[in-house]
Amino acid sequence: MRRFALAAALGAAALAAHAQDRGKAVYEKSCALCHAAGLAGAPKTGVAADWAPRLARGASALQASALKGTPRGMPARGGNLELKDAEVGAAVGYMLAQLPAAPKPAAAPKKAATPEAAAVAASPPAVVASPVAEVNAFNRLLRPPALRNPAPAADGIHDPALDGTHALQAPLQAYTGLPRANAGNRVDWVKALAEKRISPRWDKADAQAASVVLDLNIVREVKGSMPDVVYPHKQHTEWLDCSNCHPALFIPQKGANQISMAAILLGQSCGACHGKVAFPVSECRLCHSKNK
Amino acid sequence: MQARRLWCAALAAAALALGSGSTALAEYGDVVINNHSDKAGMRPAVFPHWFHRIRFACKVCHADLGFAMRAGGNDINMVRIIDGQFCGACHNGEVAWSIENCNLCHTAKPGTPTQVHESTLQKLTAPGKPAAGAKGAKP
Repeated sequence: MRRFALAAALGAAALAAHAQDRGKAVYEKSCALCHAAGLAGAPKTGVAADWAPRLARGASALQASALKGTPRGMPARGGNLELKDAEVGAAVGYMLAQLPAAPKPAAAPKKAATPEAAAVAASPPAVVASPVAEVNAFNRLLRPPALRNPAPAADGIHDPALDGTHALQAPLQAYTGLPRANAGNRVDWVKALAEKRISPRWDKADAQAASVVLDLNIVREVKGSMPDVVYPHKQHTEWLDCSNCHPALFIPQKGANQISMAAILLGQSCGACHGKVAFPVSECRLCHSKNK
Repeated sequence: MQARRLWCAALAAAALALGSGSTALAEYGDVVINNHSDKAGMRPAVFPHWFHRIRFACKVCHADLGFAMRAGGNDINMVRIIDGQFCGACHNGEVAWSIENCNLCHTAKPGTPTQVHESTLQKLTAPGKPAAGAKGAKP
């Protein structure tokens, strides 16, 4: 009997070792590119702090993220759609096995089954995990961080069944190193341009051409208690040509344009861009910046 | 304990449904163009503003190439693109990848209406539906 148990244990160990080998092979082929260095927000292999929030949601959630991808940039199956479920699972298992001893992958959800143990054991990672994401969950206007800047396959408009979707760059990968903002793409594009983090081409024909910047502020006094609007030609002419706004959107004459927030919300005047591609109208004080 | 586990599962499912049920998750400024695609049996095209503005000033497309600033406001078709107009000015295999890569542009879920994602109009109207007046608004 004892011999049988020993054999079973040895067999299990051999199986586990086999799974580890297979996981390692998949990891090195499809996962290491991001996870070894922690690129694009990927949890770094062997760094417990990176994995704790993810583990707190349970191993099955982790597995699901690996298979389906996440809005934060994890492509489905690590971008290698030919991997089988078991192979992805083996790679996840391998990465978890590289963590320092404390948080064991399968242990957390099992412990959670007994309420007393869950309260003691599962609480530390849970505290790390969710407060930032969940505390404002009641507010439908505030998108939790995990759902911002989703990867194409997870964004609801791209078809995840299509190979091309998975070949597209994820926004967060492109935003690495760009100054952050609180709305829109959550990138401060004007600052990114000013700091030369990006150098968008200015002219279709001439790759060397530079923008003709007009440094002229227009102050618009507004009714009510809102601060007056300061319109800077400078930041606009760094991106746009005069003809983009004049004369179709704005008559180039002081006092000739009636602008209202209602019109802007409907996509007219400033709303032709602000609320579609330039920073959205939720950022009141970026325009209404001059106190009365 | 069983009840507790069920309760947790139900909560998780609800959270998932709330989090991912809405279609309005796309990156700010992503434009779905579905003027002809559905009718032609193709997936609608998705134009990522963010990707292009890293590489080109607004002027290049909206002044030099003549794109109107309105989703669906340009009568783009593949003949024109092959002819070097609109997207075809760059997507010609020289500046950017060429038009044989159908599946890189035509990536939207079939039936997705023409719209600018995360736009004020889209948020004011029902999320996921085309913004009323999106086509009628001034450029």
